[in-house]
Amino acid sequence: MKRTSKDSRCKLPDNTALKQQQLPAYQLQLSATGVLSGFFATGVFCLGVGIILILSAKSIKEIEIKYTEICGNCAKLREDATNFDKECTCSIPFYLSETMQGNVYMYYKLYGFYQNLYHYILSRSNSQLVGTDLKDVGNCAPFSKSHDGTPIAPCGAIANSIFNDTIILSYNLNSSIPIKVPMLRSGITWWTDKYVKFQNPSSINLSSAFAGTTKPPSWAKPVYELDEEDPGNNGFLNDDFIVWMRTAAFPTFKKLYRRLNRIQYFTEGLPAGNYSFNITYSSSLFLGLAYTVTGAVTWLASFSMMAVHLLLKDRKMLFIQQ
Amino acid sequence: MLSVFCSGEVVCEPPNNKLDRFSGTLYWKESKFPLSNQNMLLRGCVLRNTEWCFGLVVFAGPDTKLMQNSGRTKFKRTSIDRLMNTLVLWIFGFLVCMGVILAIGNAIWEHEVGMRFQAYLPWDEAVDSAFFSGFLSFWSYIIILNTVVPISLYVSVEVIRLGHSYFINWDKKMFCMKKRTPAEARTTTLNEELGQVEYVFSDKTGTLTQNIMVFNKCSISGRSYGDVLDVLGHKAELGQKPEPVDFSFNPLADNKFLFWDPTLLEAVKMGDPHTHEFFRLLSLCHTVMSEEKNEGELYYKAQSPDEGALVTAARNFGFVFRSRTPKTITVHEMGTAVTYQLLAILDFNNIRKRMSVIVRNPEGRIRLYCKGADTILLDRLHPCTQELLSTTTDHLNEYAGEGLRTLVLAYKDLDEEYYGEWAQRRLRASLARDSREDRLASVYEEVESNMVLLGATAIEDKLQQGVPETIALLTLANIKIWVLTGDKQETAVNIGYSCKMLTDDMTEVFVVTGHTVLEVREELRKAREKMLDSPHAVGNGFTCSEKRSAKLTSVLEAVAGEYALVINGHSLAHALEADMELEFLETACACKAVICCRVTPLQKAQVVELVKKHKKAVTLAIGDGANDVSMIKTAHIGVGISGQEGIQAVLASDYSFSQFKFLQRLLLVHGRWSYLRMCKFLCYFFYKNFAFTMVHFWFGFFCGFSAQTVYDQYFITLYNIVYTSLPVLAMGVFDQDVPEQRSMEYPKLYEPGQLNLLFNKREFFICIAQGIYTSVLMFFIPYGVFAEATRDDGTQLADYQSFAVTVATSLVIVVSVQIGLDTGYWTAINHFFIWGSLAIYFAILFAMHSNGLFDMFPNQFRFVGNAQNTLAQPTVWLTITLTTVVCIMPVVAFRFLKLSLKPDLSDTVRYTQLVRKKQKAQHRCLRRVGRTSSRRSGYAFSHQEGFGELIMSGKNMRLSSLALASFTTRSSSSWIESLRRKKSDSAGSPSGGADKPLKG
Repeated sequence: MKRTSKDSRCKLPDNTALKQQQLPAYQLQLSATGVLSGFFATGVFCLGVGIILILSAKSIKEIEIKYTEICGNCAKLREDATNFDKECTCSIPFYLSETMQGNVYMYYKLYGFYQNLYHYILSRSNSQLVGTDLKDVGNCAPFSKSHDGTPIAPCGAIANSIFNDTIILSYNLNSSIPIKVPMLRSGITWWTDKYVKFQNPSSINLSSAFAGTTKPPSWAKPVYELDEEDPGNNGFLNDDFIVWMRTAAFPTFKKLYRRLNRIQYFTEGLPAGNYSFNITYSSSLFLGLAYTVTGAVTWLASFSMMAVHLLLKDRKMLFIQQ
Repeated sequence: MLSVFCSGEVVCEPPNNKLDRFSGTLYWKESKFPLSNQNMLLRGCVLRNTEWCFGLVVFAGPDTKLMQNSGRTKFKRTSIDRLMNTLVLWIFGFLVCMGVILAIGNAIWEHEVGMRFQAYLPWDEAVDSAFFSGFLSFWSYIIILNTVVPISLYVSVEVIRLGHSYFINWDKKMFCMKKRTPAEARTTTLNEELGQVEYVFSDKTGTLTQNIMVFNKCSISGRSYGDVLDVLGHKAELGQKPEPVDFSFNPLADNKFLFWDPTLLEAVKMGDPHTHEFFRLLSLCHTVMSEEKNEGELYYKAQSPDEGALVTAARNFGFVFRSRTPKTITVHEMGTAVTYQLLAILDFNNIRKRMSVIVRNPEGRIRLYCKGADTILLDRLHPCTQELLSTTTDHLNEYAGEGLRTLVLAYKDLDEEYYGEWAQRRLRASLARDSREDRLASVYEEVESNMVLLGATAIEDKLQQGVPETIALLTLANIKIWVLTGDKQETAVNIGYSCKMLTDDMTEVFVVTGHTVLEVREELRKAREKMLDSPHAVGNGFTCSEKRSAKLTSVLEAVAGEYALVINGHSLAHALEADMELEFLETACACKAVICCRVTPLQKAQVVELVKKHKKAVTLAIGDGANDVSMIKTAHIGVGISGQEGIQAVLASDYSFSQFKFLQRLLLVHGRWSYLRMCKFLCYFFYKNFAFTMVHFWFGFFCGFSAQTVYDQYFITLYNIVYTSLPVLAMGVFDQDVPEQRSMEYPKLYEPGQLNLLFNKREFFICIAQGIYTSVLMFFIPYGVFAEATRDDGTQLADYQSFAVTVATSLVIVVSVQIGLDTGYWTAINHFFIWGSLAIYFAILFAMHSNGLFDMFPNQFRFVGNAQNTLAQPTVWLTITLTTVVCIMPVVAFRFLKLSLKPDLSDTVRYTQLVRKKQKAQHRCLRRVGRTSSRRSGYAFSHQEGFGELIMSGKNMRLSSLALASFTTRSSSSWIESLRRKKSDSAGSPSGGADKPLKG
């Protein structure tokens, strides 16, 4: 700060608003009208949003079926990781008492599966998944290379632990012939994931593109054979794979599995009747409740603040008159 | 001479800080010469009326007594700095605690859950147990959570202080036009401490006063001159002064002398004998030396500025003191040169408080002219002048009431025989071996009696501009002002009155002048008892004499009524001893004003140190000279007055400006704002870091304590640097709660700083609590939403990356709204930074999540497409809105209720200002001077004894300068000896007559 030059000592400081701290400014003042009306408005807004959200959440039907226990045998089989390639099927019948109107989504939900562990989240190779460098498995420990040193594609703990149960929903129309409910496996990912973040390596066909790599240890099939019905749904572009690779924030999570293809019997949605297996869908009831509570609390607060303000008004005026 | 001397040797004491003692021996040519303080010239002394002298440098540089007095330079830090360091340590402890909790959590989790999760994510090879994993996780969490320890805080604090320092440098209202010097903040680290000052220690000469004496008024044979009159003959108000009196008739007049009352000059021109005698006295009775370099260019060298002022006044009114020899004085009286024969100078001393000359005029008449303190002189007048006496006394009271230094002038005709006889007696007395002083005094006393009163003079010890107003304002702001001066007690007290530190409204002014420990202790005890016994005292039960010091403090703090304490240097030396310092401090702190006179530089520092140590208060020392350096260095804040005595004080100071009055602006405006801004800044800074970091802690419970961060790594990097730094910096630099005029009008606004209300440990915990509260909501509201919700197209919402973006966005919005609430003064810059930060956040967010960057670096930019996908969801926006509302509403409600229920003074001032925008704000007028004073001044105060003898000996005359060449010869230097002895005597024991309280 020390000024050394002689003439700066003698110069009159500039008379600018900035230097004289006289900048024009708005002074924030918590006036009673402003604060109270703000509070009331916020209260109204929150209550409104809350009620709308609650109502919309009420109109959504949700059925959740836990199959870990019902399919206990399979679960036991799965607990031993070495049995990953053994087939295990089980069927769970359930009854839908009301028609599910509109779009129907089928989710799988995992409890206590930590997709958000630090090492887990890191254990992937984006440059491999985008198809540019299949051999780049640098971040994928501990699932980067197989025992013989071939790079794994897709590498990493996330890919290795993919949810690979196959769930088929069938509708028993006449309680005898089960009809397979038509399901879409497309449109369950983000556009950016499908077209930017995940790309197959370019080659004549997928199997040659993935030559020189090996499948993850837990996988039954290599990545280019994930979908036998739709060849376009293979490799890194497989929708189920992409959905799994978008790691969940919390240990209990659900991921979209299939969308109802609204054709034939199902144009209106899912009719009531007997089904086997698993349908879920939900929206946030929590948000609606939270908004309602916030709205109510804000209103209460505004009323009490107004009371305080009105009580004190006389005193304050008195003070000013003094 | 020097070559002759080179064989000499000086043996002396080691360097020390005692100004009044020196002992050594000079060995030269096989003879020994004792060296005492009489032979010393201390560094910083000015040699007057002496063309040259030979000397030998005994100590130089840091060994000089002056430098030994200057004390150690200490590293100065503000109390906020120290508090901040403590808090940062606490935060560090808190960080470790969090780390430990999370590490234990991790060990348990790995043991209970992670073990089974190993199929999906095997442990690293190095990790062999849950315990070790917990250990690693501890360090990971220390790294992740380190953002609670605000490292950027220190940088930001320095930037803000730098800004404040620039504001001080730029302040036009602290720029002295006359000297063309701006105020200068020489340290950038102490600004906020300026808002917490409780004690101001001020030097007197050069700081409060200009060290210029001005002949202001006089009373000549019952008529008072010198009032400034306007055209109609009424006393003019300040600021509308008419033209000064024109002295052009007198070719020898001093152009710098200004006088406003033309009637006095008319009286002189009319030839009024009293007026002529009055000025004749002034031109004869003094010890001033004149020097005439060219014809008509007179320079007076006065040993005290008071005398200079009087002789200059006489000069301008036509009685020009032209030259003197040891036996004659030549005066130009109205243009004609008259030479008086100087028969004797009856010199000044502290007890006599007067000086006289006996002259024989050309007609041969012998006359004694005397000037001196009214208290002394009025008793020695001829009884026939009663009427004149009472009018003059009225005038004297009037002058003293205006804070002027008064002198009474009188004369006496002596007949030849009487003088001859008296001169004999005087000679005998001066040759007496023992008690020469007393004998001389009684001889003097004899001749100075039955004098005829001529009139009185009033000299203004010119205060610096605006000093009384500044002191009054600072006192209103609850700042206690202590004057520490090397001057004499009378001078200091006089200045105390003229700058309104001491007033007649005060209940009592205690004067402590004891020479021994017991005396001082007794005087202090009496002062305390008086304070407690007075009917004003609150605690009327505390009249008993045995009081413990702790009790005393509490009682004395509550003493009603205004008291002042004046303490002398030698008493102060005792009072500062370890066993009495607390007593002294208690007494002094109960007084509204404290004046310490005759103090050495080191004592100044000791007083400051004492207050600093025991009162836990912020001290500020202001001074202009080298003798103030030690106190400037010791005090928390040192202020140097620039452009006066030299630059040592400025060089040692932290702030410098050229006028004492700027102190009010420095403290009440700059200091207050700095403190306010710094406190607001710190509160917000801790808040924002806790809100930011604690989210990781909560997330730890959901991610297996695996040290996974909630946010994207780039967000973590940029949060403190880019997204939230500039708005809070802008607030820290520009914020104002009330405009500057208001902080001058309502000095009470300064109090929160002194009481340290705006940032202390309590405030810190409130900020932290708010931060933690925000972080809880910031995490659990999105958690609650995401746990269940899906996107509108049915796909998963609760993926980690969307969660990260949602939390980060709501965090940035919440802290931006919070800074918006904290910013009390929205300038364009604040707008720019706050809105700019938000805009930058979104710009960077979208850029980081763009396809282009991902294509280039797929492994670095993992969040591709996240911003557009997440922020397109109404659910996400509803979540962000909800979080913001829930975080901010309680703050607004709390502030609103505080404003309604328990408003601060600044709130009230702002509110009142809003309401009364049209009404003119009440102006607090300082009380006008009109004080009728019962006190009187003494003889020209800065005067010293011994100069009469010096003049009569002729040793300082040019013609006899040859005599100086034989400096070493003992015989001819006897006058120097005696002068020095008297000097040291008067330094050691001034004013025996001042033991009684000044008023009572």
